[in-house]
Amino acid sequence: MRRVLDWGRRMRADLAASTDASLLSVLRFLGLLYGPIDHRLPINEAFRKALRYRLPAHVTWRHALGGIVYLLFMVLVVTGVLLAVYYRPSTQEAYPSIQRIVTGVRFGWLIRDLHVWAASMIVIAALAHMARVFVEGVYKPPRETNWLVGVTLLFLLLAFGATGYLLPWDQWAYWTVTELLHAVAVAPLVGPLLSRALTGDVIVSGATLSRHFALHVIVLPWLTFWLLALHFALLRKHGIAPPIAPPASGRPGVPFFPHHLLRSFVVAVLVLAVVISAAALFPRPVGDPANPYELPESLVSTWVPVEVSLGLVRYLTPWGFLAFALIGAGLALLPLFDRDPARALRLRPRAVALGLVFLLGFVGAWIAGRAVRTPSPDLRPAAEVLERETLPGSEPGLRLPDVGPTPERPAVPGPDAAGRPRGGL
Amino acid sequence: MDRAIGVLARLALGLVVATSASPRAAWAQVRVAQVDTSYGCIVCHADKRRAFVTGVHAERGIRCHDCHGGTPTAFETRSAHTPRFVGHPGKMRTVAICASCHADPNRMRQYGLPAGQLAELRTSRHGQLLLERGDTAAPTCTDCHDAHTILPPVDARSSVYPANIPATCGRCHEDARRMAGYGIPTGQLAEFTSSAHGVALFRERNFAAPTCIGCHGSHAALPPRVVEIANVCGRCHELVDRAFEAGPHAAPARLGRLPGCIACHSNHGTERVPPEQLSGLCVRCHAEGSPAAQRAQQVQQEIVRVRDELRAAAAALEELVRAGEPVTDTRFRYRTAQTYYEQLGLVQHSLDLERLNDLTRRTASIARDIRAAAETRRERRWEHRLFLIPVWFLALAAVTVAGFKLADLRRHGE
Repeated sequence: MRRVLDWGRRMRADLAASTDASLLSVLRFLGLLYGPIDHRLPINEAFRKALRYRLPAHVTWRHALGGIVYLLFMVLVVTGVLLAVYYRPSTQEAYPSIQRIVTGVRFGWLIRDLHVWAASMIVIAALAHMARVFVEGVYKPPRETNWLVGVTLLFLLLAFGATGYLLPWDQWAYWTVTELLHAVAVAPLVGPLLSRALTGDVIVSGATLSRHFALHVIVLPWLTFWLLALHFALLRKHGIAPPIAPPASGRPGVPFFPHHLLRSFVVAVLVLAVVISAAALFPRPVGDPANPYELPESLVSTWVPVEVSLGLVRYLTPWGFLAFALIGAGLALLPLFDRDPARALRLRPRAVALGLVFLLGFVGAWIAGRAVRTPSPDLRPAAEVLERETLPGSEPGLRLPDVGPTPERPAVPGPDAAGRPRGGL
Repeated sequence: MDRAIGVLARLALGLVVATSASPRAAWAQVRVAQVDTSYGCIVCHADKRRAFVTGVHAERGIRCHDCHGGTPTAFETRSAHTPRFVGHPGKMRTVAICASCHADPNRMRQYGLPAGQLAELRTSRHGQLLLERGDTAAPTCTDCHDAHTILPPVDARSSVYPANIPATCGRCHEDARRMAGYGIPTGQLAEFTSSAHGVALFRERNFAAPTCIGCHGSHAALPPRVVEIANVCGRCHELVDRAFEAGPHAAPARLGRLPGCIACHSNHGTERVPPEQLSGLCVRCHAEGSPAAQRAQQVQQEIVRVRDELRAAAAALEELVRAGEPVTDTRFRYRTAQTYYEQLGLVQHSLDLERLNDLTRRTASIARDIRAAAETRRERRWEHRLFLIPVWFLALAAVTVAGFKLADLRRHGE
């Protein structure tokens, strides 16, 4: 009884000591910052320091874009883990497991469609975040390393989507991935090697599925977590970039807690509500099971970068796709060339032009890619790969089909009774 | 001069090296070694030899002189073309030459070939014109089979390969001027191409589909007579034929009062009759308003209704697939319904109304079940949308509380 009373007394004292931060008091109340952990580790101090942090006065709602990307990434992690509980990465079981997730598992439909929609929205949010950084010239020294880390994170996001796109193992995913792997193979030097490594077979098959799954759930998450940590560490090290035109009077900063946290909370709640709404209103349809022997009649793409890539590959050939990737790479490496400290847009016309070309190209390719509704006829698998006989095509008409030059006849009959070769006139 | 000779020698050496390096050239050398240099025909008729060696006759050891006569060992034209030399046999002579082997069962037995083509040809319209009337505009053997490049029907290059037969027949039968002399219309090829048989043959490469010879015969080619039509179609459409025989139209067809199947399905442009046009066909013979026409109207309405239900079931099945529902069993049931619907096509020919009603009832029942499953799925999707009400309620409540708190903080200047 005495111990219980003692515990109550200490808790009341802790609550009373937490007048500076109500969040800490909540944590204490839940027992998270209480007892030996609280006393022996500097968590209490670290939290207090973080909550007392003051953001610069010019930080507004537009600075929430990076937070939205992080939030959507967390949504993807949580829903991804839940999906991995039910998903089975084999050609025989992948499609039925998706069917089970969307129809048999409680709230499986929501988890899957949240994953799908968050995957598209995170790309838009990441690009918007990078556009803000680009427009405000924040990529310039001393923050150029963080820009490169951010670009690498974007690349990882695209790799996440590209590897995850095949996992439903339906016709749309199968043939889209096939077409894009063909496009990748066109790239000089690394293209064929990368395409072969990702395919792992002569056609997209179980080997491809295993590779994509391993990359999607093991390799890429680890890389992303470490790079995110580096991104945040660099952000704290250099601080939030000052405005292009410094304010006349030095306004005091905004406290992180509760002001900025409340703003972030509002943005997070709205973003989550929008993602859930999109998932409930526009679920991703399930295609027919993947069939390497048959091209589907229609194609449904459900991820923004895939639509952009399809638009580029279909209308500008794989070389157009590569050219666009080079523009993107040019933007990513911008801080290495644009080292002038001037940040105003009018003072860096070349960078702005490059950014505009990328933006217009992205939007144009996206619109074009959304119009792609049929698979490329070039994808028809080679007969020798599928071990199927293809009959010579001849259209009906008055002329015999063109069967090409008459082949030489290798077999020669043996000699007749008189010893003369038969058939050789 | 010496320089020119040197250049020529180098060129010749290069040519030898180049040709000896090519596998094609190496094969040509082997073949040259195998050519019978004592055979004189090829000295002048190398082009004919090239055509001939691709054919089946060359494989069997047939040679020029077997058909054309002459002395193949001679290398001088006059002596080579004697005795019994036939340079360009006429059409009737061609029949005789081909028949000298192909009408001989003792020769044909070893190849598993029939020996009755000549007998059949005599019965055909082609044979009658050529052999009895001496009409040389009529075709002979080589018009369909070629004179030298004679290939078996299984060879896709052959003019008698199934997919090539319509074009082979069309060479003459699409010639309006030639056919005018015989009072035969043209345009059959176009009709056939767009017909159910033509689509199966050309587009689906279904060689079970009949070509011209499937109905008319090949060597014994003749149009089937009216009383024969049901039998001709029934060779493939056996079940339909049985249903037709059980129905009221069989007797008049047997008597030649009704042109059998083609009364409704046409001949070269054979096509399934769409359900909407069923009763329209009946009133060609039965007076409008007659009991038969009324019954036809009822049958049409019933079949159209079932077809529409089946289409709706197909759409529902697609909806279930897109929603991720496992549809193996549903798809199986849909195929069962499709089978019943196909059987309706048979039962129409017998006009067995009891069986027809039974099949429509079964088809509609399955179709309704599939649509009900899709409806259930749709309702579940609505439930998903209703889930948004608490989500947005909570979200807006949280945003409102946060907004008040922020406003409060601003008011207190914090």
